Amino acid sequence: MTVHIDNMTRVFDSPNADRIVAVDELSLTIEDGEFLTLVGPSGCGKTTTLRCVAGLDTPTAGTIRVDDRDVTELPPQQRDVALLFQDIALYPHMSVRKNMEYGLKIAGVPEDERREHVAEAAALLQIGDQLDKMPASLSGGQQQRVALGRSLVRDPSVFLFDEPMSDLDAKLKRELRPVVQRITDEIGCPVLYVTHDQEEAMTMSDRIAIMDDGELQQAGSPKEVYSEPINDFVGEFIGQPAMEFFDAHVESANGTAAVSMGDHTVSLPATADELEGYVDSPVRVGVRPQQIGIGDPAEGIEAEHVLDEPLGDETHSIFETEFGDVTVVTHADFDGDGDTEYGLVLDESATQLFDPDSGVRIH
Amino acid sequence: MSTPTETETPSETETEGGTRLSYETRDRLYHLALYGSAALFSAVILFPIYWMVQNAFTDSQTVITEFSWLPSPETVTLDNFSVLAAGAVPRYVINTIVVTAGTIVVVVGVSLVAGYGMARFRFRYKESFAQFLLLGYMFSPIVLGLPLYLIWSEIGLLNAQIGLVIALSSISMPFAVWLMWKYIQTIPESMEESAWIAGASRWRTFWDVVVPQTKPAIVACALFAFAIAWNDFTFAQILLPSQESTTFAPGIMRLIDQGGYTSWGDIMAVSLLMTVPPLLFAYFLQEYLLKGFEVRTR
Repeated sequence: MTVHIDNMTRVFDSPNADRIVAVDELSLTIEDGEFLTLVGPSGCGKTTTLRCVAGLDTPTAGTIRVDDRDVTELPPQQRDVALLFQDIALYPHMSVRKNMEYGLKIAGVPEDERREHVAEAAALLQIGDQLDKMPASLSGGQQQRVALGRSLVRDPSVFLFDEPMSDLDAKLKRELRPVVQRITDEIGCPVLYVTHDQEEAMTMSDRIAIMDDGELQQAGSPKEVYSEPINDFVGEFIGQPAMEFFDAHVESANGTAAVSMGDHTVSLPATADELEGYVDSPVRVGVRPQQIGIGDPAEGIEAEHVLDEPLGDETHSIFETEFGDVTVVTHADFDGDGDTEYGLVLDESATQLFDPDSGVRIH
Repeated sequence: MSTPTETETPSETETEGGTRLSYETRDRLYHLALYGSAALFSAVILFPIYWMVQNAFTDSQTVITEFSWLPSPETVTLDNFSVLAAGAVPRYVINTIVVTAGTIVVVVGVSLVAGYGMARFRFRYKESFAQFLLLGYMFSPIVLGLPLYLIWSEIGLLNAQIGLVIALSSISMPFAVWLMWKYIQTIPESMEESAWIAGASRWRTFWDVVVPQTKPAIVACALFAFAIAWNDFTFAQILLPSQESTTFAPGIMRLIDQGGYTSWGDIMAVSLLMTVPPLLFAYFLQEYLLKGFEVRTR
């Protein structure tokens, strides 16, 4: 199975508010067995996209196909998809077993066969001893496992996830991520996973599609979108802590480019061709906090230490500069001092340049 | 309920606020007022019930000729209850049961469907429609009853229990629909969506996912409809004028009016019988109702 989303647009009209274009001409293909994550800030249209694929919402324009079958107008009952909800949505009046077999019951599968499927799925999810309990007596993580099992037993042709882990704590998330991956591998169908958590996107996906304001920004492998973001939005959204940006000015470019940032100038390995049209123009320099070093004020951007967030294996240090607050990933032993003058040294080979108006990455 | 540590000496209170009473005195006065008012209230409420029970078990001659606060062993009898098997009384009881059961079924059924529709579908003037429903409570039963009499007699529903069921359902409905509407709104829509995706139709989802979760609301609606139908006098008197079809409340009125002689013992026996089911119903379902709400708060 392959899911094709072609030029899909979803507009919400309301009489007393403005038209909202939730999804704007989105085109995306999810290959068979591929784990595609749709990620973006809240209100970017990712959930609307997923609901359209599920059949719970209908696109205003464009088509959705599964293989060659046009499913754009089909109700959810006829799409053979599975969907994991953010609020888990187990039926509180049914036991875990009843919850898991409900889809099969609707499909008319005989009872002994249902029990077999449920037992298999429960074993895989390690909830075999919970089958006769009621959902309310399970923990959040176990409930999400049951919800996974409910989808697993149906063997769907498309698997959808709508921020299933948003309500779980960080430790549980880490525990569940491999479970989700095992289950989706087991089913082997196209997976569309919606989240606002870039860490989830990075760790689980074959491919990540980043959306903003209803528009697809970039789709690529986690490494690709991390190291080669198409624009400053993707650069900032992917990666933890977020990429830091500095307003800069390209002075000259011949072999290396001299870029001035306030009083400080860095020379970047960029050819004149690459920076065509940007010489003597403003640009935005983007650097990941991991690629910023701490030195003397003479060596880099003058900075005043604000605070440290020690994480044990590393420290996130926040500095105040003429460009605003800048986060730097420092050594675990780093202990900032408010009276000392620091200089932030950018790793020149790791800097990226963005167009200041369109945000598109130029180098 | 003062403990030794909380006890304040009068001198201490004096320095604190002049004329303030000591904690102990305030506490005693508070409890006196609390229990006193509770006792007074209970007496007013419970005395008629006590009087009904006492008279129902007292010899019918004694009820009329003598007066005593307490029942005396010589006059206690079950004879009054023989009225339940005599004359039109069994008919009244059966009619009441039929009308009440019918009203409960109609109210619960319609409010489930209407409440679901209002909770899950968007349609024009929904809010106005809901407010319009409540307008029905602005009229007293007698105002609604007389036009209903004319309409019912025109379409042949007079003296038919179904006619009274419709009338009683319609006055129970606004509350029941509102309750069900608000209750279904608390059920996450994603549960239904999950069932649709699993292949269940909207109707099937309604039955499998929504209805079982509305049990507490169903109980509340049923209880409300029960109270309206079981205790109704006005509509039954107007819409079921014949002796064979009428219910207990108008029926007992006729017992009182029958001839010059009023058998208070009989009347109290019938009254007692008709009071017991609502008490049991309210008591047991109230327990269930609370249990239901507990489950929902998880």
